[in-house]
Amino acid sequence: MNYVIIKNALYSIVAIMLCLYLGKTVHHAFGGLPGSLYGMIVLNIFLYFKMINAERLKATIEWIIKHMSVCFVPAGVGIIDHFDLVAQHGLAIVVVIFISTMALVTAVGLMVEKLSSASLENQSSDV
Amino acid sequence: MLSALSYILLTIIIYQISAWCQRKTSAIWLNPMLLTISALIPIMLWQNISFQYYFAQTKELSNLLEPAVVALGYPLYQHLKTIKYHWRLFLSVLTLGVAVVVVISFTLSMALINIPEVAIALSYKSVTTPIGIALTDASGGNSAITAFAIILAGLFGALLGPSWLNYIGVRSAKAQGLAIGAASHALGTSTISKISYEHGAYGSLALIVSAMITAIIGPLLVDNFVLFYTTPL
Repeated sequence: MNYVIIKNALYSIVAIMLCLYLGKTVHHAFGGLPGSLYGMIVLNIFLYFKMINAERLKATIEWIIKHMSVCFVPAGVGIIDHFDLVAQHGLAIVVVIFISTMALVTAVGLMVEKLSSASLENQSSDV
Repeated sequence: MLSALSYILLTIIIYQISAWCQRKTSAIWLNPMLLTISALIPIMLWQNISFQYYFAQTKELSNLLEPAVVALGYPLYQHLKTIKYHWRLFLSVLTLGVAVVVVISFTLSMALINIPEVAIALSYKSVTTPIGIALTDASGGNSAITAFAIILAGLFGALLGPSWLNYIGVRSAKAQGLAIGAASHALGTSTISKISYEHGAYGSLALIVSAMITAIIGPLLVDNFVLFYTTPL
């Protein structure tokens, strides 16, 4: 068993929990975003100012992100209490998701295509 | 205690089997989370297990959502270095995109379904699941609907996004990656990273930056919409 992997995993867990509790403190003090999102920003700040060693987090965080969707299963199972809602409005829900998703894909795609060719021209004129 | 552990184990085992099925077939629509939920629901109906009971037993699993959101700060940090030069473009396009999707989702859901809890859930369906669920709970929406809507948004973008973008003449890896990452989060991103490395890089950039933007401007829009629709004139 590789000792470094375990040490880095513990380091990552402590770093994440520290950021989470700092984030929750911010949430209690100011409200606004959920505590976990403030925690995400806190982690970013720590990484930016090199107060947390990014290299040591890498492997653990990649593992977490790869496997985290199992944690969403209980929330999704909650649909069991909303069968009548799905039976009544399922089609409308799918339509809303389809239209808004394709609208977002189209809007971002077209804007980036137009703007990035424009900004590339600007850059070359700067040089 | 034993019972809680066995429900968590059951969930993880079914999830692992589903993930194995997807790896074997590499079919996008065989989403492990979707498969796990569709396997658990018949078991629960058959064994007469209520959702409240199952949710209480697997609370530890849901509690991991919070550290998972914090962990997403790491890819965000990695991408901050790459967007340094184009941050104005990325931020303005993605902010506009997020605003458009929240407004369309909310108003269209109110027009067609007229249930604020569902409209809130559908407004947060373009972001990665832990953030979408956290935001839905904070705004008082139905997070079970969010969980499903997020998978569907991911599937639509992953399956139809690339060919639709090619059709409307958006062909650069940068534009395609950002568009699908913003709309279809990790599901879309993992699918398009097979097209090119650049697609994947821009996809994960968009997914993480648009999730941040949604977390900041989403509640402002959604909470005011809810007030607007639920306050009697």
